[in-house]
Amino acid sequence: MIAAPAKHAWYVYGVVDAASEFTGDGVSVVEEGPVAAVVAEVPLADFAGEALPERLNDRAWLETHARAHEDVLLRVAENATVVPFRFGVIYRELDDVATMLRARRDELTAALVRVRGRAELGVKGWADRERVEAALGDAPSGDSSGRAYLERRRTEQQRAERAATLIAEIAQDAHARLSRCADESVANRPQPRELTGRDETMILNGAYLVADGGAALAAEMRALEAEHGRHGISFEITGPWPPHNFVEAQEDA
Amino acid sequence: MSRNDLSMSGSLQPRSSNPAQLADVLERVLDKGIVIAGDIKIDLLDIELLTIRLRLLVASADKAKEMGIDWWEGDPFLSRNRNGDRDLEGRLRRLESAAGIEDDDQ
Repeated sequence: MIAAPAKHAWYVYGVVDAASEFTGDGVSVVEEGPVAAVVAEVPLADFAGEALPERLNDRAWLETHARAHEDVLLRVAENATVVPFRFGVIYRELDDVATMLRARRDELTAALVRVRGRAELGVKGWADRERVEAALGDAPSGDSSGRAYLERRRTEQQRAERAATLIAEIAQDAHARLSRCADESVANRPQPRELTGRDETMILNGAYLVADGGAALAAEMRALEAEHGRHGISFEITGPWPPHNFVEAQEDA
Repeated sequence: MSRNDLSMSGSLQPRSSNPAQLADVLERVLDKGIVIAGDIKIDLLDIELLTIRLRLLVASADKAKEMGIDWWEGDPFLSRNRNGDRDLEGRLRRLESAAGIEDDDQ
């Protein structure tokens, strides 16, 4: 072992109001005026220099740390309003964390106001394309003559196009309706199948900031599913999440 | 917990992903939230690269496929093991690729 001058650094999960009381294993707070950072001491060796690229490409390490980031924020959010930071904000000294809090005081205070008393929920929409197409009717005939084959191919293609249009309309309508049940909303890009690992196509990847615990949002989602479920469209609610989608500010200088 | 059965059920129950899927967590913590660089600057650059990689995938899987970029297929970082068949397929593809066998599937 080679002794290094500094072995630890401070990882910042997010920011809460000063004097917030919350539970968090192994985390401490750095207070500065009206705000406080939720921090934990991490081994510098994991994050500094050449170690990090290696760590980030280590799926197990990345998964553990990314999940830990969310878990800490969720735990804190049980009792306090929290503005989540992105993964990987690290300072060498606690004084540097305090300096950051001072410099960004207005921005952080505004973000706290924005998410106070609210929760972020996600709604995903899924389409089973075969069922959507089947619901459009015009089932191709089984005739195997050349002409019937071409006819069938054309019908299939038209059906696929109509299904795509229908799916896009449903997704747009769903997001508009779900947004009316939320204070703020964001439609993120649906994840491709390579990422979801599901047979259905993701058609909606929405985030909603709600003040009522999501009761209205859940009811609207059930209404959407009642309308479209038989056509092969389903919805899924996720969360509550730390409100990552609703605290974004300007890039760091 | 099994989620494959969900696609077949016509159930109207709200479904909650618990535990959250890794792709969701990464999409959130690498790409969202307040953007603040700590004073260990080198780190953010690496995270940006990872974010870009994830974003590229999320944004343009179809486009990338058109261009013949298919690095995520069989990429252990992004492929998931929930569905046994898909996993087997991925492993087969990786083995084939490692063995230099061409995929004859058009």
